[in-house]
Amino acid sequence: MRSLDLDLIHSFTKMPHMTDLPFYKPHGNELELFEHAFLRQLPLLIKGPTGCGKTRFVSYMAEKIGLPLYTVSCHDDLTASDLVGRHLIGDGVTYWNDGPLTRAVREGGICYLDEVVEARKDTTVVLHPLSDDRRILPIERTGEILSAPPEFMLVVSYNPGYQNFLKGMKPSTRQRFVSLRFDFPKPELEQQIVMGETGADTMLAKKLVNLANSLRTLKEHDLEEAASTRLLVYTATLILSGFDPVDACRAALVEPLTDDEETAEALMEIVYASFGK
Amino acid sequence: MEEYVGALWHRLITDVADKRYPSEAVSLEQISKIAGILFRSWGGDSGLAVKSATATRHGAKRSLLQRIAGSNMKTELTWLDGETLNLPAIIDLFPQRDLNRDLYLWLIALAATHSEPALPWIQRNQRATQDVLERFPGLACRYQRLADAVLDMRPRPERLPHGEREQEEAIRAALLNPGSVERLPPARRPPQPVYLWLHPDPPASEPASGKSNDPQDHNAGDNIIKKEKDRRYQAERVDMPDSKDSFMMSFRAESILSWAEYIKVNRPTEEDDPPDDRPAEDLDRLSVAQDGKTAASRLKFDLDLPSAASDDRPLGDGILLPEWHYKKQLLQPAHCRLQPMLARGAEPLPLPAHLSATARRLRSQFAALTPSKVWLRGQFDGSELDLDACVQFSADRMGGLQAREQGLYKSHQYHDRDLACLLLADLSLSTDSYISDHERVIDVIRDTLFLFSEALSATGDRFALYGFSSLRRENIRFHILKEFERKYNDEIRGRIAAIKPGFYTRMGAAIRHASQLLVKQAATQKLLLILTDGKPNDLDQYEGRYGVEDTRVAIHEARQMGLRPFCVTIDEKGSNYLPHLFGISGYVVIRKPAELPRELPLLYAQLTR
Repeated sequence: MRSLDLDLIHSFTKMPHMTDLPFYKPHGNELELFEHAFLRQLPLLIKGPTGCGKTRFVSYMAEKIGLPLYTVSCHDDLTASDLVGRHLIGDGVTYWNDGPLTRAVREGGICYLDEVVEARKDTTVVLHPLSDDRRILPIERTGEILSAPPEFMLVVSYNPGYQNFLKGMKPSTRQRFVSLRFDFPKPELEQQIVMGETGADTMLAKKLVNLANSLRTLKEHDLEEAASTRLLVYTATLILSGFDPVDACRAALVEPLTDDEETAEALMEIVYASFGK
Repeated sequence: MEEYVGALWHRLITDVADKRYPSEAVSLEQISKIAGILFRSWGGDSGLAVKSATATRHGAKRSLLQRIAGSNMKTELTWLDGETLNLPAIIDLFPQRDLNRDLYLWLIALAATHSEPALPWIQRNQRATQDVLERFPGLACRYQRLADAVLDMRPRPERLPHGEREQEEAIRAALLNPGSVERLPPARRPPQPVYLWLHPDPPASEPASGKSNDPQDHNAGDNIIKKEKDRRYQAERVDMPDSKDSFMMSFRAESILSWAEYIKVNRPTEEDDPPDDRPAEDLDRLSVAQDGKTAASRLKFDLDLPSAASDDRPLGDGILLPEWHYKKQLLQPAHCRLQPMLARGAEPLPLPAHLSATARRLRSQFAALTPSKVWLRGQFDGSELDLDACVQFSADRMGGLQAREQGLYKSHQYHDRDLACLLLADLSLSTDSYISDHERVIDVIRDTLFLFSEALSATGDRFALYGFSSLRRENIRFHILKEFERKYNDEIRGRIAAIKPGFYTRMGAAIRHASQLLVKQAATQKLLLILTDGKPNDLDQYEGRYGVEDTRVAIHEARQMGLRPFCVTIDEKGSNYLPHLFGISGYVVIRKPAELPRELPLLYAQLTR
C-alpha cells in the first residue's frame, strides 16, 4: 500500500501542524486505515470492548490530522434533534442552535458518536444520508440541506460485547461504514501503554498486564466484561501515587468487575498470586 | 460393649497414628466456586468441572502406629482428566487453616499450569512448580511456607533404609529447589505421597462412552437418594454376566467378602433399602455392571418408545440436525433426527381452577406492558405544543426568571414491543420426580406454561411454546404446544395439560430447531427461553462434557442468529455448568421450584422491559 503523505492530509485542514498529541500506541494498521478513510471520505465504524482505546484513538487521529473533534456519547434518550440541532426560545424570539453533528458538517471536522447503538432509532435517519456517497445532512426544521465538506468525517463506535437484546446495529447502517475491530492489545504492547500512560516501570506494567490477562480468560464464564486497559491504567496510577498495590488492585480492578462477593474473593486470590500476600 | 471399645480404640489409634487437624480443615465445598474461577483464570480448561477426588493407594511405607491403626493406606491427591479437575475433598494436613487453604490454591495453580505429561513425575512437577512461581511471583512466599510445612511432615531421610533414603533426599531437594533434581532414584517402595505435587499415576477414568446403556436417568426417579457429595471413584465397567451359574458352585465361600473384588457370577438384583455407602469409601475400584433391569425402572417407566397407536401423533418424517462433537471439534451434519409431535387426544380445556386467581392478577399486571400510544410531555420536538410547559415558560419569563432550555412540545410515541418469544420446556423423565408432597416437577412446568401464556397473551407479544425430550439421537421428540401463529385458546390449554414426562434431555438439537423456528419471526427482539431441571443428557455419549459442549455450541449458534437465549432452571447445581453454557448473565436458578409458575412471567417482564 502506498504510504500516505501527511502534508496532503494537512492541506485539508485549517489547523497548523500538530502540537501535543495524546498518547496512543498503534497495534495494527489502524492509523493508515483512518488516514485512507479520511482522504477518500469514507465513514468509519470502530468496534471493540470497553476501555480498549477507541476514544483515545479517535482523539489522537483528530489531533494528528489537525481537525476539531466533536464527540457525542450516545445514550438511550439521544434523538436525532440532539445531533442535528433545535430551535431555542430566547427573549421573544426563537433561534436555531446547531447540534454537534451539524456543527461538524458546517465547519469540517470529525464527528465521533460513541456507543452509537445506544441512541434512539430515529438517529439513523440523519446518519444514513451522511454516511453514504451523498454525504448530505438535511435539516428538516430549517429546510437546509448541508453537504459535507471533504474535511468532514463521521466516526462511530460500539461495543459488540454488550449483549443488548433491545439494541443492535441494523445491517443497513453497519454496511455504510468501513469497519475496524479493536481488541485488547498484545501483552508487550499493553505494557508499553501502561508505562507510557502512567510512567510505571517495566516490572509493574508486566505484572499488571499478566494479571489482566488472567482475569480476561474469565470473561463470559464468570465475568460479564473483561478487565480493560483503562482499568489497568487506573490501577497503575493509584499504585504510583503511593497506594498499596494489593488495595489498588482491589479498588481499580476487582471491584469494578464484579458485585458478587465470592467472585471478588477469587479475583483477589489472583491478585495475591501476582503481588504476594 | 465390644463394639464400643472397638470404636473407641479405633478413634484413639487413628488419631495418634495420623496427625490431622479436623478443626482447621478446609473443604472443597467451601471453596469450590473460588476454585473454579482460579483454575480458569490461571489457564485451565473452562470446560472442566471441579470435583472431589477419591483416595488412591500410595503404597509407601507406613509407620508402626499407622500399621496398627490400619490407616494411611490411601491418600487424596490432585489430578486432571478429560472432564474434571479432581481435588481432595478435605485438606486438614496442617495445624493452620490458612495453610490448608493455601495448599488448595497451590494445587489449583499447579493443575492449571500442568502441561507436559510426557515427562517423568518428578521432573513434571518440578517444571510445573517453576512455571507457577515464574508466572505468579506472589505465590512464592506461600510456596515457601507450604514447602517448609510439608518437609516437616515427611520422614527424616536418615531414618530410612538404603534406597528409600536417596529417594527421600531427592524429593526434599526437588521441593526446596524446584528444577534441581533430574530423576528419582529407584527404591523398593514408592515414596511417601507429596502433597504439593500432582498425582504420580492418575487413575484412568472411564470415558463416558457410547456403550453405556444405563437405563436409569441420573436425576430421574423420586426414590433416588440425593448424595451430597458426588465423589468420583475409579471405575471399571464390566459386562453383566450372562451365565446362570450360582457362585456357590464355583467359588469358595471366602470370596463372598466382596464389595471389593468383582467376581463374575450371577448375582441376584434386588432393590432393597438404600445401601450403606461406607464400605464403598474404602474401596479403590468399584466394579459397576450394567444391569438394565432395576426394579425401579421396571416399575416406573417403560423405556421403549410407546407403540404408534398410543403415542403422540408425529408430524412429517422428522428433521435432520447437526450435532457438535467436542473431541473432534467438528459439527457432525445430519446427526440427529428431530420429530415434531402433537399430543394425541388432547381435549380442549379451560384454565385449571387453581390458577385462575394468579392468572387474573398476572393479566392485569401484564396489560400495562401492552403496546399503546402515549403522549410524552416536555419534549424538545413533537407534533404539538405542550401547553402546560408553554404557560409555565411564559409565566417564568414574565416573572423575570432566566429562560432555561426546556421542552415545550408533546410528542406522540408508540411504545413498541416488537418482540417474539419461544419457550422451550424440558419434558424429560427427570421432571417426573416430586418436589413436594403433592407436586412433581412436571406439574410445576405445566402450571408455568399456563401462567406464562396467560401473561403473554395479555401483552400481545408473539410467543410460542414447545417441549422436548429424547431417546438417543434418532428420536428427539419435539412437542408442539403453541405455534407463533396460533391463538392461545382452550385447544392450546388442552395440549399444555397433556404434557407428560418421558425419556432424556438432548438439549442441543432441540435448541437448534427452536432457534430456526424463532429466527423466522419478523420481530426485532427474539427471546429463546429454555426451561429445564438439569444437565443435558441422553443414553448414548450425550452425557457429561459431550452434551454440555454440544448445547453450548447450539446456544452460540442461536446468539449468532441474533436470538437471545436465556435459561431458567430449578437445578440447584445449575451454577456449576450454566455459566459455561449461557454466560454469567444468561441464566437464572429458581431455588424454590414451587415458585416457578409465578416467577417466570415476572422474569419475562424484567428481561423485556
